Amino acid sequence: MLPPSLLRLPLRLPSSPSSLSHLRSPIRAFTTTSLNLQKHFPPRLVIPDSDIEENFLKGSGPGGQKINKTSSAVQLKHLPTGIVVKCQETRSRSQNRKLARKTLAERVEELMLGDEARTRVKARERSRKKASAEKKKRRKYRALEEAKAAEGTEGGGEGDGDAAVEMEKDTIEPGKGG
Amino acid sequence: MPRLPTSLIRAARLIDPLLPLLLRPCRDLRSAQNELRWLCEHIQNHAGARNITERTALLKKLVQERSTGKPLQYILGTEFFGDFEIECRPGVLIPRQETAASITQLVHLLRKSKSLPPELRILDLCTGTGCIPLLFQDELSKHQDIRLELLGVDISKKAIQLARSNLAKLRSQGKPTAGNKISFMRADVLDDAREGYDHEIPKLMSALESQHKSSTWDILISNPPYVSPSEYWKTTTRSVRCFEPQLALVPPPSHGLKDLDQGDRFYPRLLHIARDVAAKIVLFEVADLDQALRVTGMARQAGIFSGIEIWRDDPGGSAELESTYASGDFPIVGSGNGRSVLCWRGEGAVWLGKHV
Repeated sequence: MLPPSLLRLPLRLPSSPSSLSHLRSPIRAFTTTSLNLQKHFPPRLVIPDSDIEENFLKGSGPGGQKINKTSSAVQLKHLPTGIVVKCQETRSRSQNRKLARKTLAERVEELMLGDEARTRVKARERSRKKASAEKKKRRKYRALEEAKAAEGTEGGGEGDGDAAVEMEKDTIEPGKGG
Repeated sequence: MPRLPTSLIRAARLIDPLLPLLLRPCRDLRSAQNELRWLCEHIQNHAGARNITERTALLKKLVQERSTGKPLQYILGTEFFGDFEIECRPGVLIPRQETAASITQLVHLLRKSKSLPPELRILDLCTGTGCIPLLFQDELSKHQDIRLELLGVDISKKAIQLARSNLAKLRSQGKPTAGNKISFMRADVLDDAREGYDHEIPKLMSALESQHKSSTWDILISNPPYVSPSEYWKTTTRSVRCFEPQLALVPPPSHGLKDLDQGDRFYPRLLHIARDVAAKIVLFEVADLDQALRVTGMARQAGIFSGIEIWRDDPGGSAELESTYASGDFPIVGSGNGRSVLCWRGEGAVWLGKHV
């Protein structure tokens, strides 16, 4: 039986820059080329409050003591572009306001900068990493197959082996893709 | 209440078999999904369920409780009030978002003032969970170097216990700024004798005296019971009627008082107290615009204030409408339902940035 602490969901550690700064300093590169820790993302867009129309969504009718609502949804409208963002993630209205502002800034940036926007750059970065991981995985299995094939034929010609692997890879590919 | 359409129930069941139960109190799919998500998060973070079977059973139990109309805040044990997560327990009114909006707006006005005194004393009557003093001191101390003394008063023993526990919880997080004094006291705000009155509860003025509290207060805030008996049966939602304390919603009856006057019963007394403690700023929550107009009438009759304003649900939103003048000659600020009445006099006008 595992201890109960392991069964709970993992805690998310605070990731504020202040807590990371002391972790960063002792990092030493193993290579002579310096490690690039700085991420090259465009800076976050800050939308002035005067450009935002804020709306706390609530039904019509009485409020205050007479009803007890659990919704604390916030709706923001960016006046210059007309983009509308709604947030009801958390129970806290102030939290929802922060989240909604963040989402709105991202949307407006996407509209202004297109593919250069922070979210798009991040998404590209993510898909690039995924693709390279995918490639690495394929390479590893290909090597394994190659080794297996080499064992099976037991010292076949080098050229023949390569051809066999190429063929095998072709047949295996679609299965792996799924 | 209109019946839930079968198509909606079916759509909910397709998403999660527990959702149809939550549709009963929530009435729409989005909020039911939100509540289910919050209940799941609550179980993962707090409840003592050890494995997936126990967790599922607990979730089912909580969803069933919620489907009877029990407020989500009582089930989860907390409600957000401004930036704070305030503890809630059955028997004490759950803090409302609109109250937080009014308090935040009041502090916002005070914060802009350059001429606040080095020390401010704030009295909160009918404090309930203690949410108003706690939010007020946090919002003001964050931005101004000022010493605050805050006192919350309530007639209910449960409320005072809960308010003290909320204060202790914030203290343990190091929240209340050092130098600020916050305390809670049990006392009766109304001063006339009434049926079934518990003589052990002291009257407000004598309690202030006997507990060696100051007899003058700069700011008086109150969210008193303001629902009249007929409104209580007609306009409150079932979850409020069946689960929240009537003591915090409906003023006690008095001989010869009509329905509407019973709903307004606290305000004349609160204005009286405002005069006795020499309050310079007064903020009362009200049910709607009609009650707000009645209260402004009372405040004008009291003849001690130099300015009166009515605030709506969202008094400081970015959609700040131009102050409109309703039937009276008082400005009505913000958007939404009529929510509170603000009065000021003397230095209060300067603190609020109201130019005389």
